[in-house]
Amino acid sequence: MEHLSDHGLLALVGRGDREAFARLYDMYGGAAYSLAVRIVRDRELASDVVQNTFLAIWTQARTFDSSRGQPSTWILTMTHHKAVDMVRREERRRAEPLDDAPAAADPEPAVEHQAWLGVAREQIAAALARLPDPHREVIELAYFAGYTQSELAERLAVPIGTVKSRTFAAMNALREALAALGMRPEDEWNTSTS
Amino acid sequence: MEHVDELIAGHALRALSSEDEERVVVHLAECERCRRRLRETEAVAASLAYSVPQVAPPPELRSRVLAIAEPVVSAPVAEAPVAEAPSRPARPRTRRGWWPRFSLVAVPAMAIALVALLAWNVSLRNDISSNRDDLASGAAVALPGVGNVVAQTDGNATLFAHLQPAPAGKTYEAWVIRGSVALPAGVFEGGGTVELQLTQTAKPGDKIAVTVEPAGGSQKPTTTPIATSQGV
Repeated sequence: MEHLSDHGLLALVGRGDREAFARLYDMYGGAAYSLAVRIVRDRELASDVVQNTFLAIWTQARTFDSSRGQPSTWILTMTHHKAVDMVRREERRRAEPLDDAPAAADPEPAVEHQAWLGVAREQIAAALARLPDPHREVIELAYFAGYTQSELAERLAVPIGTVKSRTFAAMNALREALAALGMRPEDEWNTSTS
Repeated sequence: MEHVDELIAGHALRALSSEDEERVVVHLAECERCRRRLRETEAVAASLAYSVPQVAPPPELRSRVLAIAEPVVSAPVAEAPVAEAPSRPARPRTRRGWWPRFSLVAVPAMAIALVALLAWNVSLRNDISSNRDDLASGAAVALPGVGNVVAQTDGNATLFAHLQPAPAGKTYEAWVIRGSVALPAGVFEGGGTVELQLTQTAKPGDKIAVTVEPAGGSQKPTTTPIATSQGV
């Protein structure tokens, strides 16, 4: 199974392969949980988010089409969206600190993940830092704090049209900043070779 | 066709209003160019996921997740699809945009619309040259007088409804019509744009209907349709 691409793994999951499903969790569950914790600021809710995401994976893997992009992107996109939905549903105040100190990263993650992830994190932080403040701000408030565009308009005291165009420009700028650092997200977020 | 480039970024960040979300989702169902843009943008957004501090999941989460894939061993249950239990959960099951409160407003003549998933049916009879991405992304069909339904190939469907708030003591209810059977698919109060993830999956040939029901919803539609579209 180690030789399979993520697409191959997902195809197995789509056929009900429980071992492939476990492997997918071992590969991406940590990243999904970390993202969920960052957004919902509560470990139990974060666990719910991850469980819901993997439930969706289990039921939808069969119809996942490779033209939709990398499975890792799909998994993290679903995780993000479910986390943001939960923030809104639970009306959690976004500035709340985490309930306790984060545990150290798992000492035994899926091996091929770890070194690559550390490098990626630095580069992404660098790419974000390159963005003009207004651009970085809309991305961070929307992506991590779950602000809707109308809430952003209110908070930033700009018209919603400005929020939309700024968001659009910001994501383009982020893509270019990543590219300048040699990262192409569409190809990058896949730890196995296809 | 009016593209939705600017909205794709907001959609990838899940930051759109229900109205904008509907515009994008309906458009994406029919536009490969914009789906491609979305994939690129989602990949960029996913990079943000990797920028967060890594926190170890609790071991019991792994057990919970793997339990999803375990076969369920239990007493025989009613064959799928299972109708909703009479008592509804207190909170309606929408993905987002929780119910705004509205004062009582008269509803126009009861809006019941039947729509066949024509586009979906047609796209499933594909020849080799047809765009299989249409299948991958599902199809959008209009629900005249109500809004739109967007159905995915895996059967998950979302209703976008623009209706006056239901009158006091009443609620709107969505149905998946399969043959002669109406399957309950979720209740909503109406008012503004509502985005409702149908609680019943939709299969090719199914129709979607909306009726007005007593508060809490019904097991079977209690009002007769006044508008019907012919299925294929």
